Amino acid sequence: MPADRIPRRRCLSILAGLGALALSGDQARRAAALEWRGVALGAEARLLFHGPDRERAQAALRRILAEVERLERIFSLYRPESELCRLNAAGRLAAPSFDLLAVLALGQRISEASGGAFDPSVQPLWRALARHFARRPGAAPTEAQLAPVLALVDHRRIKIAPDRITLGPGMALTLNGIAQGYVTDRVSDLLRGLGFGSVLVQFGETRALPGRVWRVGAPGFGRPFGLSGMAVATSAGAATPLSRDGRWTHLLHPRRGPGDGRFRSVTVVAATAAEADALSTALAVVTAPEADRLARRFPEARVIAIDADGRRLHLGSANTKERSLVLVPALRSPQVGSSPTRPPEN
Amino acid sequence: MLVAALLLPAAAGGAAKDETALAAELFAVPEASVSLGAFEGSPPAAEVRRDGRFLGYLVSSRAAIGSVGYSGKPVDVWLAIDPEARVAGARLVTHQEPILVIGITPEDLEAYVAGFAGLDLETRRLTAAPEARALPEAVAGATVSSAVIKDAILRSGRAVATDRGLLGTRAAGPRLDRSGFAPASWAELLDRGALVRRDITRGEVAQILGQTPPSATEAGRNFITLLAGLATPPSVGQNLLGRRDYESLLAEMGAEDNLLLVAAQGLYSFKGTGYRRSGVFERIELRQDARTIKLTRDAYRNVGAIRAEDAPELREIAVFKLPAASGFDPLRPWELVLLVSRETASGGLVAATFALRYRPPDWILVSAGAEDATAAPRVQAALWQEIWRERAFEIAALALLLLVLAAILVFQDSLARRYRLYRGVRIGFLVVTLVWLGWIAGAQLSVVNVLTFIQALLTGFQWALFLLDPLIFLLWGFVAVGLLFWGRGVFCGWLCPFGALQELLNMAAQRLRIPQLPIPFALHERLWPIKYILFLGLFAVSLHSMTLAFRLAEVEPFKTAIALKFLRDWPYLLYAVGLLGIGLLVPRFFCRYLCPLGAALAIPARLRMFEWLKRRAQCGRECRICASRCPVQAIHPLGQINPNECIHCLNCQTLYYDATTCPPLVARTQRRARASQRAAGGGHAG
Repeated sequence: MPADRIPRRRCLSILAGLGALALSGDQARRAAALEWRGVALGAEARLLFHGPDRERAQAALRRILAEVERLERIFSLYRPESELCRLNAAGRLAAPSFDLLAVLALGQRISEASGGAFDPSVQPLWRALARHFARRPGAAPTEAQLAPVLALVDHRRIKIAPDRITLGPGMALTLNGIAQGYVTDRVSDLLRGLGFGSVLVQFGETRALPGRVWRVGAPGFGRPFGLSGMAVATSAGAATPLSRDGRWTHLLHPRRGPGDGRFRSVTVVAATAAEADALSTALAVVTAPEADRLARRFPEARVIAIDADGRRLHLGSANTKERSLVLVPALRSPQVGSSPTRPPEN
Repeated sequence: MLVAALLLPAAAGGAAKDETALAAELFAVPEASVSLGAFEGSPPAAEVRRDGRFLGYLVSSRAAIGSVGYSGKPVDVWLAIDPEARVAGARLVTHQEPILVIGITPEDLEAYVAGFAGLDLETRRLTAAPEARALPEAVAGATVSSAVIKDAILRSGRAVATDRGLLGTRAAGPRLDRSGFAPASWAELLDRGALVRRDITRGEVAQILGQTPPSATEAGRNFITLLAGLATPPSVGQNLLGRRDYESLLAEMGAEDNLLLVAAQGLYSFKGTGYRRSGVFERIELRQDARTIKLTRDAYRNVGAIRAEDAPELREIAVFKLPAASGFDPLRPWELVLLVSRETASGGLVAATFALRYRPPDWILVSAGAEDATAAPRVQAALWQEIWRERAFEIAALALLLLVLAAILVFQDSLARRYRLYRGVRIGFLVVTLVWLGWIAGAQLSVVNVLTFIQALLTGFQWALFLLDPLIFLLWGFVAVGLLFWGRGVFCGWLCPFGALQELLNMAAQRLRIPQLPIPFALHERLWPIKYILFLGLFAVSLHSMTLAFRLAEVEPFKTAIALKFLRDWPYLLYAVGLLGIGLLVPRFFCRYLCPLGAALAIPARLRMFEWLKRRAQCGRECRICASRCPVQAIHPLGQINPNECIHCLNCQTLYYDATTCPPLVARTQRRARASQRAAGGGHAG
């Protein structure tokens, strides 16, 4: 595994036990629930099918794995022949796939809205930090060390057009803050296209198909919340510390470096996992007032942050006084019954 | 026969007597013991029984698969197939192949067809002989016809063997039906899932692109209606594209390649314009399993209209060839993805994709082995590629020869200035044309090719058929271009082996001081039409009967002199030698007055674009040296060169530059000599 590979940890956990998933507690249906686990884009992946027949799920799984493989051939940073690697190597890519275009276009939107708090061109900085801390885990890099790399981080110099993507000289992209969400969305769309309604899709991020309410836990949440027809992503810096003192984590502002007074974690619930993914990444590295302003620009998303003192904040105007924790676009009936929560994994 | 008929009256009812005799002969059993059932089923075949015991099937390739020959006319090979799916015997019953012209005896062809006895239709190898022989390769000199016949035998045999379950034992998974054809209308193709469709409204697009939603009525309006489907199976592709376009596409494809049809209506263009510059379509892509397939300009073919019945007029129609190397699997579902993007004010991009999902409907699949059950006559596209690979050396040699000729024509002035070099090049080229092109490679174009081509245009043109003979194909390609550039002479003067033979013999005759027979121009002119009449006559006959036309095409001595190298019955020999004999006295006598191919090429000769043969103002008025020395008397006494007769030998051009022969040049040289004398004299005087 390359030195600069920093796996994102799973911060969300599905409530323990498949039995808890069955609404009725009916033994037969419980037995019919199927789980698949694997790895996609370097992250753990998981699918939970609620009550389908095994063969249908099996057939769907073949399609899904092919689709994930297709997307890895586009987004992987660890396959030299992937579109992303070819783009990074050459600084340009002719005839990009629509997947890459879509992800970069969404990334650009979030970059602009967040004033660069989310920036796919952070890759050179990443690489430099990973190299630095691999050698000297105790010492923070100096500004002089970082200045040349920071000069390469600028989302405005990523030129996206349907026929070609061009980067500024020396620039490189990472889509780790968004591609997993996109993969989650693609898998969800594929499953819906195949007629599945009740599946929980976790391919780096989590999305629940609208057939059923899934109870999902997130760090800092005492009780699980219900999720249906939407996606959720959490960014928590403590998950992957880079430096020994924990000040430097995988979440850092592309231009400011590690932030003080940032959130312990930010959870975003949005219509698509890609958007939730990118937005939570951006929100996790900015200050509370900035985060609130940014959240307001995405009124359809729910943003729940846990601040350094462990307090829960609902960011964005529409959500500050939100009490209900069932996040369903249309339906808001709370989940009946309580079941033991698996403690958060971190 | 009588006994059999009494024993099995029902079965014997439908069978003609000579069919029974043929079945007996092919199965090598006494005719009296054989009974033949009716031709039934699809593909049709008749059961053959010996004293009531089942022997196998009798199959007509014409009835089974509608086999068509190189001539574009039916070819019918009858096969006897035993219960183990082996060919017990084969006989060529009808054909109108131009073998008579190219020098193959009917016996050669019969022996070739009979050589398929013992063919195992499952393995496609001969098994009857103790040592497993290879299939008969081809009849020398009739490669195209033999390839077509081989194809007819294999496909009809396999079609029947498959249908009757003789091959059923080794069935695998389903395959794409690349041969069965059934007419279907536009609505039927949509109904049956051969085409999928998605309507996208302006509202949907605006929402995703984050634009201000248009008014409710605007939002409901159509943005694009996208249609797509796999056009590889004839029952889809041929219905959509029409037979001609479909088959010409197939001929350009490998046997495992596929065709994708994309069409649309509405405001938005799925083609865009970027592909013209970048070579890649930037508004559509294909996704299948782990593959993202970009569609390229090279793979793209524009389509004017859908030929299927009641098809609507569509704004855009495109066909894409998907090579097997792309990894596209026609049996797996795929998505066609449409990209709609918009540039933002800040120079960014907002993109929305819309997927059109396709799943191959069951009816375009066949169970393994049944693929060869063909209704539409077609030569396998891969066949010609195989032949081209096999003959790569000859193809390269011909390409080189044509390149040399092109150089000669392009640099004709430089060549004509150097008479000795010209003479050497000319004789050398003619020798190569005669010996290598004619006698060794056997590539003598003939009026038969012209008739076959016209026939093909009338009855359904197939590139694949003409690609089966690479040398003839290349020669024709070159001659066609040469015809446009310089006229008929490119072929007649340089690439015709018989023409070269006449000219070389005549050169020898002049060397031996055999007196030449000048034809008065008035008579000469009146003999010209003969060749046109011969050509038009052949053409007229060919519309009625190709066989008869091919027989009458013996007016060309090409077969005798070139294909058979004079090894022939005496009347033919006498004719060919006689023409060559007259040719000793009258250069290229045959070319001038009789050659129907020359006539066919002369008719479009006026189209030529370049006028590179130079003339002087004095030509035809003060001097007629060129006219008298022109080997085919193509130069009118008034000086102009008649392009219908000219063989572009460049003889007149060497004279044009010859300062010792061409009178205006001679006069000029003398003038200059006098002037310099005078100048020199003046100098002395001064």
